[in-house]
Amino acid sequence: MKTLRKLIALLLCGVLPAGAAAGCSRDGGDAEATGPVRLLVFGAPEELQAYRTLVGAYAEKHPGREIQLIEASDRKDLLARLSTSIAGGAAPELFLMNYRFYGQFAVKDAIDPLDERIAASTLVNPADYYPVAMDAFKWRGRQLCLPQNVSSLAVYYNRTLFEKHGVPLPKPGWTWNDLLTTATAMTRDAAGGVIRGTESEGAARRPAVHGLGIEPSIIRLAPFVWSNDGEIVDDPARPTRLTLDNPPAKEALKNLIDLRLAYGVVPTDEEVESEDDESRFANGRLAMLLSSRRSTTTFRSITGFEWDVAPLPVYRRPAGILHSDAYCMTRGGANKQAAWNFLEYAVSAEGQKIIAATGRTVPSHIAVSTSEAFLGPAQPPRSAKVFLDAIGSVRALPTVSTWPEIEDVTGGILENALYRGDRLDDVVRELDEQTRPLFARGEYPR
Amino acid sequence: MRRDRGRRQLALLLAPYVLGLVVLVLAPFAVTLALAFTEYDLIRPPVWTGTDNLTALADDPVFRTALVNSLLFGAVAVPLRMLVALGLALLLHRRTAAAGTARTAAVLPTAVPEIAYGLLWLWLLNPLYGPISQILRVGGENGLTAFGRTPPQWLTDPVDARAAIILMSLFTVGETFVILLAARRALPADVYELAALEDATAWDVLRRITLPLIAPVLGLLLIRDAIQSLQFSFVPALIVTDGGPPPYATTYVPLFAYRNAFEYLRYGYAAAATLLMLLLTVAAVALQWRLLRRYGRFHLR
Repeated sequence: MKTLRKLIALLLCGVLPAGAAAGCSRDGGDAEATGPVRLLVFGAPEELQAYRTLVGAYAEKHPGREIQLIEASDRKDLLARLSTSIAGGAAPELFLMNYRFYGQFAVKDAIDPLDERIAASTLVNPADYYPVAMDAFKWRGRQLCLPQNVSSLAVYYNRTLFEKHGVPLPKPGWTWNDLLTTATAMTRDAAGGVIRGTESEGAARRPAVHGLGIEPSIIRLAPFVWSNDGEIVDDPARPTRLTLDNPPAKEALKNLIDLRLAYGVVPTDEEVESEDDESRFANGRLAMLLSSRRSTTTFRSITGFEWDVAPLPVYRRPAGILHSDAYCMTRGGANKQAAWNFLEYAVSAEGQKIIAATGRTVPSHIAVSTSEAFLGPAQPPRSAKVFLDAIGSVRALPTVSTWPEIEDVTGGILENALYRGDRLDDVVRELDEQTRPLFARGEYPR
Repeated sequence: MRRDRGRRQLALLLAPYVLGLVVLVLAPFAVTLALAFTEYDLIRPPVWTGTDNLTALADDPVFRTALVNSLLFGAVAVPLRMLVALGLALLLHRRTAAAGTARTAAVLPTAVPEIAYGLLWLWLLNPLYGPISQILRVGGENGLTAFGRTPPQWLTDPVDARAAIILMSLFTVGETFVILLAARRALPADVYELAALEDATAWDVLRRITLPLIAPVLGLLLIRDAIQSLQFSFVPALIVTDGGPPPYATTYVPLFAYRNAFEYLRYGYAAAATLLMLLLTVAAVALQWRLLRRYGRFHLR
């Protein structure tokens, strides 16, 4: 049996491409190579344009240092490309990834820690960055990636539409009930009259404008659970289960579900499948949208109306959720020094100013975030400071290697809860039962 | 001497195919087979785990759902695809004015790249703005059909979504259609002339002449389609329905394997799922082969 195992291991090491062979002979190599630095990113066309701007600025400043942008269509595409390219021995030198998803690569030792390079750097000083973003990318005491942004969830709203209907604008400190009242007042028919969106299921008039857009997902629910003094997991450092059965979490979940089934202020699943919330907002058919800073680049192309952002509504205390992406360096990348040079530039004050000006990021660099590059009034949102004010109360989701699976599983259950009206207790039970094995299989940074 | 040269030429001609078969099909298959018994995440080296993956799959409700979805898809889509291809072949085998154009139209969807085909259907099936829903709503009010019913919820209702994936597969029967068309045109004309003299009805001709004569080809195509049916569902489920509506209405085994391998980095687990899918395909083909042989023996007697 042992001989058979050895034989198979030998066969796999021989047949599997070089990346997988990282396992057979460790490390893709510190040996320096020439050629372009490949940077793997994903995003909407406007976001990709922002990265092209950054890469262009770098190329202009450092002629001869070539950065090749590899553009994935979405997050899942990026994960697939990254894993297969690592396995194929052709890993990109750099990739940009949210802290929620880098764990599965960190645990497999596919990311090169940056501590030594940071220590030797003259451009990057950890003290210059928001700790909450830096900490999100620490894995077992080592800084694996460097954050480019420190976004949080905000309420985008169609200011022109609010003013047209004379509905008070969302303001700091508003509550969940305020959000609900506002969303109800903004759900309108084609003639501009207030309409009850629940009538739109199957028959009768459909609202021409819905009051609110929110994605039924754990990352949208979490800040409201925290705001209501609840927890989404039993132990944020080493979670073993979701704890949405505690009363504050359950209340937040129920209120989220009621947005569709009881009040009809969010579009139906049919409407969302026809036109996603971001497009619906950009087309003037959604009064408010809960989203992160990512949407800003897309919304800056809106010309038909004025829009702005407001803080999240509050239950008992302000709470937000961290949205942060970071540049990570693959262990198997060929051109490490050149990759670090670009990474260092991208997260430095100069690089962050460039990307912040495109609207894509809330800079993780403290000084840049308070500079004109981010807060300047030339481009919307007018109230960009909302993102900065939220940083003090943002929390990161637990980092666990199986988080992508947990998000997928919970997303499906929450989607059915919001649109199909599954019983709350069943939803909570399913969430718990289906995610326990995933937490059990997960590995943690500490 | 001449025979040896002939063999050498044959070997040379076959060499590129055999090389491709070994490098692109058999070797990856062998690796996948071996990986099914390991824990492998594409990054770290594989670790031998014996039959753990297979045991875990047996306990995995998502895999069970994917398996049932795949079998259901095969059971419904394969006969329907054969019916569509056969119907088209019988309709278009005569030399008539528009037959050439119609044949081209029948084959064309098969020539469209899969991703483009998926994206096209994503638009066609759009619940509110897609042409299919728009047509179904003609004559109705408030988003209902002329019969006062809600049109199919292609992307949000589990049953309708499964139907949508099957519907999509019915238009890519080009290869099957071409083979059946050729088979039909190769049938001897005198048999049909004799049937006409005997005043046989069209149904009689189909039942007693065309189908029995074309049966060997049909049988072969049925087996081929059954093997391929597990793959037809992958791109539509990935592009159009994303494996949903939730929880896993259109998650088929290939999509399950893809997600586990490349999104969750559980390549060994995905390889085990692929292995089981392969075994099921072999079982389905063996069953069909048996039935066809029994059918052949019955008709030869």
